[in-house]
Amino acid sequence: MLIGIDVGGTFTDGVLFNRGEIVSSVKKPTDEENLKNSLLQVLDELLDYGDPAEINRIVLSTTLVTNLLATGRGEKTALVLLPGYGLPHNSYDIAKETYFLKGSIDFRGREIERLDNQEIDGLLDWIKSSGISRIAVASKFANRNDVHEKEVKKRILEECEGAHVAISSEISAKLNFRRRAATTYFTAMTGNPWNRFVDEIEEALKIRGIDTDVHVLKADGGTMPLQASRAKPCETVFSGPAASTMGGSALTRDTVNSVVVDVGGTTTDLSLIIAGEPLYASRGAVIEKQLTHVNSFAVSSIALGGDSVITREGVQPYRDGPAACFGGEKATVTDAFNIHLNLNLGNISESQTKIGEIAAQQQMDTAALCEKIVEYVTHRLYSTVNEMFRQWENEPAYKVWEVINQRKFTLDRVIGIGAAAPAMVPALAEMMKVEPFIHPYSPVANALGASVVRPTLTVVLRADTQTNKYTLDPGGIRGELEKPGSFQLTDAKEMARQYLVSAGQKLGMKEYTADFSFFLEEQFNMIRGWDRVGKIFEVGIQVAPGFIEEFKGVKI
Amino acid sequence: MKPTGILFFPAFDWAISPTHPEREERLLYTRDQIFEEGIMDLPQIKEYKPGLATLKDIARVHFCVPDVEAQITEAHLVSAGSALVMADAVISGEVKNGFAIIRPPGHHAKTVSHGNRGFCNINNEAIMVEYLRQKYGIKRIAIVDTDVHHGDGTQEIFYHDPDVLFISFHQDGRTLFPGTGFMEEAGGPLAYGTTINIPLLPHTTDTGIHYVLDNLIMPLLEEFKPDVIVNSAGQDNHYSDPLANMAFSAQGYAKLNETLAPDIAVLEGGYSVETALPYINMALIMAMAGIDYSNLREPDYNPARLKEPKGNMERIYKMVDTQLNTFRNREEVIEKNRRSGELFKTSYERIFYDTDYINEEQRNEVRLCPACGGFRVIISTAQHPNGRRYHIACIQLPINACSTCQAQARDAYKTFNSDTYDIVYLQDRVKDEYKSIITRTGEERVL
Repeated sequence: MLIGIDVGGTFTDGVLFNRGEIVSSVKKPTDEENLKNSLLQVLDELLDYGDPAEINRIVLSTTLVTNLLATGRGEKTALVLLPGYGLPHNSYDIAKETYFLKGSIDFRGREIERLDNQEIDGLLDWIKSSGISRIAVASKFANRNDVHEKEVKKRILEECEGAHVAISSEISAKLNFRRRAATTYFTAMTGNPWNRFVDEIEEALKIRGIDTDVHVLKADGGTMPLQASRAKPCETVFSGPAASTMGGSALTRDTVNSVVVDVGGTTTDLSLIIAGEPLYASRGAVIEKQLTHVNSFAVSSIALGGDSVITREGVQPYRDGPAACFGGEKATVTDAFNIHLNLNLGNISESQTKIGEIAAQQQMDTAALCEKIVEYVTHRLYSTVNEMFRQWENEPAYKVWEVINQRKFTLDRVIGIGAAAPAMVPALAEMMKVEPFIHPYSPVANALGASVVRPTLTVVLRADTQTNKYTLDPGGIRGELEKPGSFQLTDAKEMARQYLVSAGQKLGMKEYTADFSFFLEEQFNMIRGWDRVGKIFEVGIQVAPGFIEEFKGVKI
Repeated sequence: MKPTGILFFPAFDWAISPTHPEREERLLYTRDQIFEEGIMDLPQIKEYKPGLATLKDIARVHFCVPDVEAQITEAHLVSAGSALVMADAVISGEVKNGFAIIRPPGHHAKTVSHGNRGFCNINNEAIMVEYLRQKYGIKRIAIVDTDVHHGDGTQEIFYHDPDVLFISFHQDGRTLFPGTGFMEEAGGPLAYGTTINIPLLPHTTDTGIHYVLDNLIMPLLEEFKPDVIVNSAGQDNHYSDPLANMAFSAQGYAKLNETLAPDIAVLEGGYSVETALPYINMALIMAMAGIDYSNLREPDYNPARLKEPKGNMERIYKMVDTQLNTFRNREEVIEKNRRSGELFKTSYERIFYDTDYINEEQRNEVRLCPACGGFRVIISTAQHPNGRRYHIACIQLPINACSTCQAQARDAYKTFNSDTYDIVYLQDRVKDEYKSIITRTGEERVL
């Protein structure tokens, strides 16, 4: 049996899933002040239907880190930057407390300016006097050579008692210093509260006699073991929309181009599935207005949900309880769809009454008002989807074949997820002239998605046969090539694959690393004069988002 | 404030040949540098996707032998097309200016293209200029060629065009490919003074180049009042370039672009792929986007080592004076040429294609028209590497040609259609129609 729990902004959803069927599902309002309680409440209700000993795996998705960062409740953190030459220092508007150090590395990992020990002494004094204990350190091109970051970390740990240091080369191997710095900063900031949360969950599971794999859902639609999440809390942001996207994918399990529309109470999240693969945000997740290296699905969120309140001024971007037809006080978007499409949801006469009141204020016919609202809502969703297509088609390209084979998106299907999806999604599909897909499990597809997705893991190898060096990430492994003279792309790929397997073993996900794919294969001849002096390779290999072996689809 | 448009197309899957300087690796470290800086994430920057030029866009400028397809690869369509994407973005006002960091380059490609010269088959800037004129009706354009090599292709294309001011500073042609770009090359009889060359001696530094910029180029631009300024942005004046001998720095390039303030910059040459390009490209982007570039420099930058050689400045002062006069007296000279009584001005040229080892012979005739810039006829002969010899007649009708020139040019297209020539072309920019006929079969193509 599998358990998936998605702690969302409005509701916490949970499912107990067994052999293609949802045995039990639970929906509770989320207590923003105590996410752990909301989570455990849902877990306990699910356990009423299953023996803890028979639970094979639990996957959690939570907004904890997102909330910590959005409300400024992360720990006070200092950002130490070693940007070297390039953009002016004042362009790094990431953290309030930012300290700049000399020391610089170039794109091939060569040191071009040394660290200044006196300057570091100054930094240490400042840390001691500021009372800040969380430090994020980021150096430009640390992904090519982490020597400066490691040295600064060592000095801080040696001389500042109680300090915790996160360095960017351990957070991401990707180019983009700004994003690496921001991701490291957010990681340092949320590390303690996230670890406390993990401790509490482990304690709670122990009390309940649950001894099974516990994973956390990531923004990339994959899971990571709860233990592994301790070092990378930022990976858990936006896992809610990822759960829905994977839920949509789990319900359909085919290679049709789809848009997943997750209609929540307050917001609607839209994501794309292209030829069966969820689309990633090409620039990474945006956290607190900063681009980061958190690999995330391309999700467009709009402040428009099934419970969005309707007033004389139109559809409002907030929620105030459930729809009138479900016993709420206010007329909502769901009520308007209920009347217009005669859906007979809940108590439709309540929809009539509340919408009727607003129509009367505007001296309008109730039906006409509903039509107007339905049209407005559908149009907003429609234009958001179109904007997503356009953005995807206009992604930059750096190779000739990518430009020649111009992307063109043709939509085949709209997948509705969330409680209000059955009301709103068919109208959108009609406007887009495609089939709607609504499943009986649509209301809890997010939790279902979480329960059945497999772990993801990405490994990048960079090798330079002129300097004879290689780096492997994650982990920041650096070493010398054994036979640089005969090192070829196939060797690079094999080296990356082996590392994927060993990294997977360490992370407790070895059964998944056999199903890998290469997403990056670059090789460049280095020509000096008219001769080849070496080669640069960059190879990326991954366990892509997918489903666990046990999941063979849903029965109905 | 509007952002600066950047179109980065490194063509990571295209090279002239495996070990040629114009290779896949050329913009690799530039990619590393600009992506690691995260400069595309800044609100001052908007990144664009490459586009494709059409065969017609190319035929608007070039007579490709035997046809456009023979002279290009897909990479050329993307490179030229990307310049057009950048031009559209700037003219439509989406961005305040734009920089197309593209390859393959183009500034050595001349009107007639038999093959590859100086790493170029087709001329990206020229294709962009004719596109701007055709699509937006833009009249006056200035191209400042800041590549270390003389922009001989661009010069030749606009040599008879008084509405395009072409200025090139470069390492003296006696010391570097293509061996042209002397001060005497000042434009055709009816476009005299709108071609301005400044041949600089080897080892010229920031000081020398900035003197030329401040005292010659900027005043000329002010007087010419172009609607659009294009920087044909080579990066090989750099002190570390392996194919040239100048001493310009990344700071120098940044300041140049800040002062010049081009509407559109298009990358040309520059083969110091590790020690110069990453920094110069950053310099250009930052300067065009108005970002403080004082913290930008090459790792080995040492201004003390880059001192202007003695005597260089004296020579530069004189050149600047001469060229100011060339430009300022242009109308007088043009008037005199018009009154010369000649109907056509004939000139002969031999063109060597260094990459493809082709020798071309050309006869050029420009009509000394009393009303417009005159139409042009080029008779060209060359043997291609495959052994075929082509003898062709090309008729070029400028976009603002007078009715007499139009009638005569279209007439000539018919009369030239004989066994004498293998192919006859008519580049009718007035109608935006590009015809060619294979005389042996009578097969005509219209783009």
